[in-house]
Amino acid sequence: MSYKPELTGSWWLKHRFFMLYMLREATVLPLVFLLCSLLAGIYSLASPEQFASWQAFMARPWVLALHGLALVAALYHAFTFFQLFPRVMPIRIGARLLPPALMVAVQWAAVLAVIVLFLWLFGNSQGAI
Amino acid sequence: MRNCSIAVQRYLPHEHAEPFWQHFTVPFDESTSILDALNYIKEELDPSLSFRWSCRMAICGSCGVMVNGIPKLGCKDFLRNYLPRNYLASESTAAVSAAEIRIQPLAHFTVERDLIVDMNEFLVHLEAVKPYLITDAGADETPLEKHAQTLAQTNKQTPAQLAKYKQFANCINCGLCYSACPQFGLNPEFVGPAAIALAQRYNLDSRDQGKAARMPVLNGHNGVWSCTFVGFCSDVCPKHVDPAAAVNQGKVESAKSMLIQMFTGRG
Repeated sequence: MSYKPELTGSWWLKHRFFMLYMLREATVLPLVFLLCSLLAGIYSLASPEQFASWQAFMARPWVLALHGLALVAALYHAFTFFQLFPRVMPIRIGARLLPPALMVAVQWAAVLAVIVLFLWLFGNSQGAI
Repeated sequence: MRNCSIAVQRYLPHEHAEPFWQHFTVPFDESTSILDALNYIKEELDPSLSFRWSCRMAICGSCGVMVNGIPKLGCKDFLRNYLPRNYLASESTAAVSAAEIRIQPLAHFTVERDLIVDMNEFLVHLEAVKPYLITDAGADETPLEKHAQTLAQTNKQTPAQLAKYKQFANCINCGLCYSACPQFGLNPEFVGPAAIALAQRYNLDSRDQGKAARMPVLNGHNGVWSCTFVGFCSDVCPKHVDPAAAVNQGKVESAKSMLIQMFTGRG
């Protein structure tokens, strides 16, 4: 005779660690909304009227708020991903392990570089318009 | 000595169909471990309590239990960790009711009696990944020659080669990571953290040639891809093995193995 406790659907509410895990996984939701918005933008290029209505949609406060949330979600997901990366792909140079903190710092530096690149491109295109 | 309240989840299948809680008052000091408390209960309060233990020094891996819902080694976890910091030093006894420590059998396993679980559910997965050195050296030689060659090769390893897998070799098979893993809780067929960590440990060993034999298990539906990197397994590991890292390094290996198989037909 024996018994086996069942794992209930609320397992992730029982520990802070699991809640943070679910938060990490939930970051996909606002990002899906952002991707759908951008996809709609591509389809709206079919005509100037559609593009104008898409621009109006993108300027709505609740859409801006959700896209702001998507930015925060992406940064949080990046934070968790960068922390995990040195554990999944440890880099060894000879017998020495590259310090995880250095690998995390390099990834954030790459994020910064991409932001600077896009700001520069965005600034140039604004100038061209 | 101060007293502390401990609740133990009992299961006596011949007397009660359902598990039930039993409450005890246990004297303790700064050095009293959860295992010491359980031994006190068994020796002084209720000899019918059943639990596993052996070495008392976090080597044998047999005294795993859930303490306040978190998998812990009974010998490596202390009652003082669950009480207010100044509790032992303070003169007041008011803090005695501050917290009752709840001890349960390891989660996600079948419970046989009190704190004793059926570890076979883990051992089956462990066996499946062939956690031992496999060498294909000297396949054409006689058994004696093969044995001599294996012996000659076994000890050849540089510190750099050892460093690649040493962390994963510290696993003591206590099963705490399985109790921390919700994926194992939802799907008991998942090979699980410790078994995959040991598969990775042997795959990374320069003396081993058994990777091809292990990869089908890791590539399978219940292998590495069932892990969603919750990471709690590494948090509870008493030997700092970091099984979550091993499992996810296994995903990299699995992806490589599948790509190689796709282009060459060989795993």
